[in-house]
Amino acid sequence: MSGAGTTSGGAVPTPEELERLAGEAEAAIAAAGDRAAWEAVRVHWAGARQGRLRELQALIPRAADRKMFGQAFNRLKSRVEAALEARDAELARAEIAARASEARVDVTLPGRRPPTGSLHPVTLVLAEIEEIFRGLGYSVAEGPEVEEDRFNFGLLNFPDDHPARDAQDTLFLEDGRLLRTHTSPVQVRTLLARRPPIRVICPGRVYRNDNDLRHSPMFHQVEGLCVAEGITVGDLKGTLEAFLTRLFASDTKVRLRPSYFPFTEPSCEVDISCQLCHGTGCPTCSGTGWMEILGAGMVDPRVLENCDLDPDRYSGFAFGLGLDRVAMNKWGIPNIRSLFESDERLLRQVRG
Amino acid sequence: MRFSLSWLADYVDLGEGLELETDPAGRHSTRRITEAAQRKASQIGEKLTSVGLAVEGYPVQTFDGGGRAASGAGEPGLEVEVTSNRPDCMCHLGLARELAVALESTLRPPSIPLYGSLSSDGSSGAVVLEDPEGCPRYVARVIRGLKVGPSPEWLRRRLESIGQRSINNVVDATNFVLWEMGQPLHAFDLGTLPGGEVRVRRARAGERLVTLDGKERELDPEVLVIADRERAIAIAGVMGGLATEVTAATTDLLLESAHFDQRRIRIAAKRLGLHTDASHRFERGADFGVCDEASRRCAALLAELAGGVVEEPAVDAVARRPRPVAWRLAGADLARFTGADVDASSIERVLSGLGFAPRAAGDGLWEGEVPPWRAADFEPRRPRPATAAPAGAPGEAYPQDLYEEVLRHVGFARVAPTLPGLGGVDAGVNPGHALRGRVQRALAGLGFAEGIHYAFHDQAADDRLPVVVRAGAPLALANPLSERYAILRRSLVPNLVAAAEFNARHGAPGVRLFEVGRLFPGGAAEEIEAVAAVAGGPAGGPWDGPAPCDLLGLKGIFDALLAELPAGPFEARASELPGVTPGTGAQWLAPGNLVVGWFGRVASADVPFELFAGELLLSRLAVEPRPRRVVAPSRLPSVRADLTLTHPLDLAWSVLAAAIDAAPDPRRVGFRIKDRYRGEGVPAGAVATTITFEYNAGERSLTQDEVNESQSRLAAELERRFGVAREEPR
Ligand SMILES: [Zn+2]
Repeated sequence: MSGAGTTSGGAVPTPEELERLAGEAEAAIAAAGDRAAWEAVRVHWAGARQGRLRELQALIPRAADRKMFGQAFNRLKSRVEAALEARDAELARAEIAARASEARVDVTLPGRRPPTGSLHPVTLVLAEIEEIFRGLGYSVAEGPEVEEDRFNFGLLNFPDDHPARDAQDTLFLEDGRLLRTHTSPVQVRTLLARRPPIRVICPGRVYRNDNDLRHSPMFHQVEGLCVAEGITVGDLKGTLEAFLTRLFASDTKVRLRPSYFPFTEPSCEVDISCQLCHGTGCPTCSGTGWMEILGAGMVDPRVLENCDLDPDRYSGFAFGLGLDRVAMNKWGIPNIRSLFESDERLLRQVRG
Repeated sequence: MRFSLSWLADYVDLGEGLELETDPAGRHSTRRITEAAQRKASQIGEKLTSVGLAVEGYPVQTFDGGGRAASGAGEPGLEVEVTSNRPDCMCHLGLARELAVALESTLRPPSIPLYGSLSSDGSSGAVVLEDPEGCPRYVARVIRGLKVGPSPEWLRRRLESIGQRSINNVVDATNFVLWEMGQPLHAFDLGTLPGGEVRVRRARAGERLVTLDGKERELDPEVLVIADRERAIAIAGVMGGLATEVTAATTDLLLESAHFDQRRIRIAAKRLGLHTDASHRFERGADFGVCDEASRRCAALLAELAGGVVEEPAVDAVARRPRPVAWRLAGADLARFTGADVDASSIERVLSGLGFAPRAAGDGLWEGEVPPWRAADFEPRRPRPATAAPAGAPGEAYPQDLYEEVLRHVGFARVAPTLPGLGGVDAGVNPGHALRGRVQRALAGLGFAEGIHYAFHDQAADDRLPVVVRAGAPLALANPLSERYAILRRSLVPNLVAAAEFNARHGAPGVRLFEVGRLFPGGAAEEIEAVAAVAGGPAGGPWDGPAPCDLLGLKGIFDALLAELPAGPFEARASELPGVTPGTGAQWLAPGNLVVGWFGRVASADVPFELFAGELLLSRLAVEPRPRRVVAPSRLPSVRADLTLTHPLDLAWSVLAAAIDAAPDPRRVGFRIKDRYRGEGVPAGAVATTITFEYNAGERSLTQDEVNESQSRLAAELERRFGVAREEPR
């Protein structure tokens, strides 16, 4: 209170002295470094009971020139109040800034990820195919992986002791059964268990005695089967086109070539336009512009008869697709074996 | 199978481009391989592919060494994948027949002299057919006075153009007919056949024969042989014998052209492990009708090339004739079945060209007989009970077999795409499939990567780790790829542990893997679908703040999985399990003590972290689905209160939890473990378990007094039953 000391003792300050006091007050207010200092300086100058302004106001009646003193006092009071207000705002801004810097985070840092897993590429491809066929009214049928000869071969019109069996490279069990070489036995099981109309897809693992760079002894197929009255080759073609243009690019071309499978008649291999070069020819498609994608055909009348269905009344089509190649194609997986060695570095990159 | 384009040109006009030369006998050859010739080859290849004879390559056979090869001399070839139903296309004439139809041209078969022959029923005479099933026809023709020597240039070139070697004029002539007409022939040195007689019969048990390759073979009655009066001299349809072989000194020979049964030849070839060009044809089905023609063709060549004299008459013994197969085709049915509109003239053109000799039988209706060279692919219809056919009547072809012939040649491009006119959705149901999808998605959501592994492993893997269902010995493969893949798995875990080791070797600080697949318990037991998971180490990097997996972490994964399924919860019962660290193993028990899985710490895995594994049999979960209902939560907040009980370490949580459940309190809506503490204040052999209880009275607020009362009643009860005194803090 040193600044006030010069005017204490009841002497009425001159207007010049009031002017000087205003300067003093402004300097003190500006120097208040934080909220507590500001509060102290406010109480000193503008305190309701004992502030300097209050003391000076009390001197007005005693001033020689009351009017002049009164005016000088009002100027002092306005300057003090303005200074307090300005400093208050400054301090508030500083406080907000201080709080912000305390909470600040480098938002470019990586987030803390909860563990996320992944589905196998074959699972994802199958899910896509199931979705497509569900939309076409199909259900899913499954069967055992260890099969009897008659389901894998006999009822599918592979005669005993016929070279058509050689192409299947069968893995046999010591008990005389075998690991199914294709998902076609599920066709027969379905046709024996139910009556038409039947629309099913039959996905699953299949096995061959074959192990090299391009072949794995275990791989995946999905079989499709549609049997009812009046099913035509056109229905086969239309279904395959609908399916393949959804599974692959929508402008994919589909080509059917005659071929032979014991359980279909007529049979065909189905090619799609190469997904890499769109049919112009590239190393992946050996320059042909086509990629072989599945085998299909009309269910052989002998198979229908084997399943107690009259081939003069019923007809149907079937097709079989390897899922592993489609998965490899889709994600650019170069080697079929890397599908089955569970390298997490590869698996966790796969997204549907 | 290799084919020569200039050889094919002998029987069908291939058009311009091949730069063919023709010798005075009308045989074609190609002098130079030009770009035009290669383009022509691939055009023909595409034609063949489009009718079902897939051409996989265009090999060029060059002649006479490097110099001329460099100048482009050689024969353009085709590598054709002939499917096993088309033995008739395993020769140039057969392929040319397809090509003639595909090119809308005509077939030019070779002209063959008409040497006479004498029919016999094979019961007596120079040819005796003792097994009419195995050998229904045998043409034996004698050629005398020939001189074995080298073959002329044209014949050597023919054989070399398809990758065969020339041997001598006699062998080359038989091979030429094989590759031209598809009929395997065999020449016996007549001088080695007593009486010039042959018999076709089953081998006797233990009978021995040295075959042309010099190997002695032991035969059995499943094998059909050609024999003289005493002993076997050839394995029918497979390979001749050394003793009757044509040698440089041979002058007279007996030429065999026979028809053998597919199955019989296949059985012999497999038993003897002897696969020859002859057996390949017979086991796919040879042409019954071509025997004599092929014999005459070869005899004429032997006369031309080796100066032989063809003896007349030959013996044509027929013990059994195949039942002819008749066909009928209605154009309207074809259109209905295929969805393609095929004109009558195309139907007639294709079927005539392929040898089906169609006769018009009305408007848009044709009929005829299946040519003998297609018999193997036209197995007739089974007799229908309603229409008993008279004995000896021809068989009836399935119309679908005819549709295929027409459709192959008119092309699938003519078929308009449609969708089956079936409404609604298929009636099939498959709960197991839906369950699998939920398991896969749940585990992926819990941070696990899905793997797929082979369903086989080695015997040691079966013994090393727990197997929930053993039905006798594991299923063993009769022809495994290797010992590593000898048996079918009964647990998914061994392959997952191997995968964990693979990832650790490649530097992974932790693994989280699962697989869903089939288990094969053994014997006739049904396959079981299971899910298994392995986890160890942290699930992410240090930044992500994960704790390394521990046993309860792994168990929690399964708890979370089960919460997603219509099954469980299951009781975990501590068990000693093979390959599991003692004290960490447990079995999952469904009601009725049915074991549905296990979990534990893998005792020995080559990974730098603790590895945990668990397996759950999904097939056993689907049995009793749990009802899925929710409890409407109270509108008022619950009151939570903790209780700490110090109890012996060996008191199982499941016992404690059961005791709490058994002390009913209408206000208590739940409880869960909060903490376990061992250390200061807790005596040795004891543990302090803190449990958080949740109270709620539903429609009204609870008072603190009510909660305190519930808590102290329960605390007293638990203390009395399980409590141990806490040590006074020192
Ligand atoms: Zn391409």
